Amino acid sequence: MPCLRTSFALRLSFVVLAMAAFSGSLLAHHSFAAEFDDQKPVKMTGTIQRVEWQNPHIWFYLDVKNSDGSTTTWGFAGGAPGQLMRRGITKDQLKIGATVVVEGFRSKDGTNNASGGRLTYPDGRQVLTAGSQDRVPPATTTKP
Amino acid sequence: MRRFSFLFALALAYIPSVLAQTAGKPAAVPNIPRTAEGKPDFSGIYQWPTYLPGDEHGKSNATTFDRKYFAPLKPGGEAFLEPRTGDPRHDEPRDFCMPAGFPGGILSGNAMQFFQTKTHLIMVHEFQRMTRIIPLDGRPHREGLEPMFYGDPVGHWEGDTLVIETTNFRRWALDDFYYTNPKEFRMHSDAFRTIEKIRWKSKGALSYDLTVDDPKIFTRPWSQEFEILAKPEWESAGIYEYECEENNRCPGGKCQGK
Repeated sequence: MPCLRTSFALRLSFVVLAMAAFSGSLLAHHSFAAEFDDQKPVKMTGTIQRVEWQNPHIWFYLDVKNSDGSTTTWGFAGGAPGQLMRRGITKDQLKIGATVVVEGFRSKDGTNNASGGRLTYPDGRQVLTAGSQDRVPPATTTKP
Repeated sequence: MRRFSFLFALALAYIPSVLAQTAGKPAAVPNIPRTAEGKPDFSGIYQWPTYLPGDEHGKSNATTFDRKYFAPLKPGGEAFLEPRTGDPRHDEPRDFCMPAGFPGGILSGNAMQFFQTKTHLIMVHEFQRMTRIIPLDGRPHREGLEPMFYGDPVGHWEGDTLVIETTNFRRWALDDFYYTNPKEFRMHSDAFRTIEKIRWKSKGALSYDLTVDDPKIFTRPWSQEFEILAKPEWESAGIYEYECEENNRCPGGKCQGK
């Protein structure tokens, strides 16, 4: 499996580089300012329920367990598919059913939506799903 | 005598560059791509126009104009800088898939591809799949058109520089600077006109000089030069589709979840 390992390492390196390149960016070119509150960072753990790999922004949905045992589905907006693909991030990096931690900023309208700037797998692998202009939360954020 | 000949030859060698500088023209770049007609060939895939060293960067990935290049505002030109209103139909029309317009569109942080023929330059930008069809055959601007988001461009050659004049704009956002400073929403007027000067400045890099002429806003035209880098490594993937309505979350300017 050396090829697969090499491929994974290359992808991971690319994502880390992309994060380094874009983590300082602020507001989105498109919808961030209108839709999301950069004063309300969110960090949630859940399983990926579905992915809409569509323009103008990808959306992915996470089933998040609440403290009372119920489940809430949260939607997260990312970058444009073209921007992400040119950074080496493809749809197959968002695995349906995978447990992930997502960090972003909550929707201004109070719905269960947020921007999804950073997605982290249990093995520590991170995927920067933000648009190249979206704000990415700092490393320590809290659940709303 | 031999030494004199050497110095004479050296002086002769400098004359063309001195003449070029004297005339305000850029020095010729050797071995640039050329069409069958001998014109510089800009066909290829590129990064969006980016900053020259020392220019102010906006806080988004899109390139924005550096205010230091602005001409003074005219009395009455203050409408150029207006604050966000809280209404996305004003603050961010692209949020519900309205066009970026020119030059905001070409400055967006996406790939773009140029196709050049003897009579036209076609610019296709990934953001909103912006397409500009620029005649190079000497025809005048079209008449009787309604004001447009992207204006009406025509181009002509001045040596190895392609000069594109675009007119007939509607009032619209000049660039993305409102994401850097929400109090500085830059709206050009319907008297807006642009002059683009495109030339190869080195192997793999174009100079992109953009003049803003808005006599309702500014006391005189002003310009900023950007750089457009060729990205042949993007050729295989090409321009990705960008169909904004596919998952528009803000139809009619009313953003909503799903």
